[in-house]
Amino acid sequence: MKKQQAIKIAAAAIIALAGIGMITTTTVYDDVYDSIVQVLCLSCLKLEPVTESDYTFETANGQPHPDYVLQNLTTGVVFLHYSEDACHGCDIMYPIIKELFQIEFGKEDMVYYEVPYHDQIVHYYYTNIDHSTEERGDGFFIYDKEHIGGLPMFSIVTVGYDSGIIRPYYTSLYGTLTLDTDEERLEFLQTIMHESIELWNENHGAYHPEEQ
Amino acid sequence: MKFQHKRLLTQLLIFLSANLRPFGVKTGFCFPFFYCNACPTATSGCPLRALELSVFENNYKWKLLTYPLLILGFLGVLTGRGICAWACPIGLFQRGTAKIARRVKKTPLAKKLGYHPIEQYLRYAKYFVLIGLVFFTSAIIGFMFTDICPIGFLTGTIPTLTLFWGKFVPSSFFIVALIVFILFIILIVLIERGWCRYFCPLGALLAPFNKVSLLHVARVEEKKFQKECLHCNACSNICPMGIDVTKLNRDPECILCGKCIEVCPKNLIHFEK
Repeated sequence: MKKQQAIKIAAAAIIALAGIGMITTTTVYDDVYDSIVQVLCLSCLKLEPVTESDYTFETANGQPHPDYVLQNLTTGVVFLHYSEDACHGCDIMYPIIKELFQIEFGKEDMVYYEVPYHDQIVHYYYTNIDHSTEERGDGFFIYDKEHIGGLPMFSIVTVGYDSGIIRPYYTSLYGTLTLDTDEERLEFLQTIMHESIELWNENHGAYHPEEQ
Repeated sequence: MKFQHKRLLTQLLIFLSANLRPFGVKTGFCFPFFYCNACPTATSGCPLRALELSVFENNYKWKLLTYPLLILGFLGVLTGRGICAWACPIGLFQRGTAKIARRVKKTPLAKKLGYHPIEQYLRYAKYFVLIGLVFFTSAIIGFMFTDICPIGFLTGTIPTLTLFWGKFVPSSFFIVALIVFILFIILIVLIERGWCRYFCPLGALLAPFNKVSLLHVARVEEKKFQKECLHCNACSNICPMGIDVTKLNRDPECILCGKCIEVCPKNLIHFEK
């Protein structure tokens, strides 16, 4: 009996040590924190955030806009696409984005394209939260204007006039845009892009990234 | 303090510790019980979500597979399915519906169904849920158990809709998940701990540990038991998991709630280390 108990205690100790070893020597704790705890699982929720396309100057977490956004705004609108591996909404939206910009990329890639769009340049950034760098991943929290924390998220950054200065002006859209068909989603994104490009055309002349 | 009150207090304290996000507490641990990370107040991640992600669309991530299994394995070796009775918030929720279920249990139809031979085989359904819905469909089809999980609906969807009214709308899985949730409520109202008995995939993961766990519920030695047992069946009648306690031998369904120990008039059942 005592021998059996000793074996069980040893087994518990080995499992505990393996667990502690795993937490201290691998990135598993951060992986769970970043991809399960920090990011809202819309699949688990069975809900989608309501899409509100109003623009704002204020970043969601008060942090400054990333440099790559500020610099690229001098030449065109910036489109930030955030996604993750296991995400039903993300799977619905991939083909729509690909059609919108006529581009190709893999689900796990981290890509940047300078896309010609209606005689303008659009800076397209695709970030899969599960396979991104810290800098690109942080953007998700900077532009999560509704504080949803869910994926997919699309942030369209343009420039706008704010009390005497031209500043980055953005909107963020979530999930499958609360629309039923792919055609409606594509049309909605095209309308937003059109608005953003108009704003950019009106204001970019007086935009200076170093003033931000 | 009565033993069952101690258990209730433990359940409440663990429930509180699982909901510390409003105080800024968020961790990268997996809960060792069933609780949804989509709950607006959840402190940690759901172990099933980690397991699903570990095999999702055949992209195997051994770390996400091993991590929750080590957490559950450690507690499993110590207490078997004790987590179900002492820590799981869904166990606490079912404790609330148990009174109705016990009344239903007394009706002739429920008695007939309760002793039906198929009831024993239904208990294997949870292993199919674990292997089929959590692992197989996630790996092969990409459909996840969390898309229709009734616990996610209870602890994630309902609180989110309540706290953030107007901010969210139902997704494509909402209706199916709502139907599953209604069935879940009917199940636990009709059968005490019906979810734990038949469908809980975490219960399925922990159940085998009952065979080897350090702490378990046991009868006194056979001779003494046969000699002194009054055959009053009070232990089996009170068991929330519907176990025939008189034949108890490291039953995989036992959740170590200790109700049989308390009720035995001859003290023939006890916790054993």
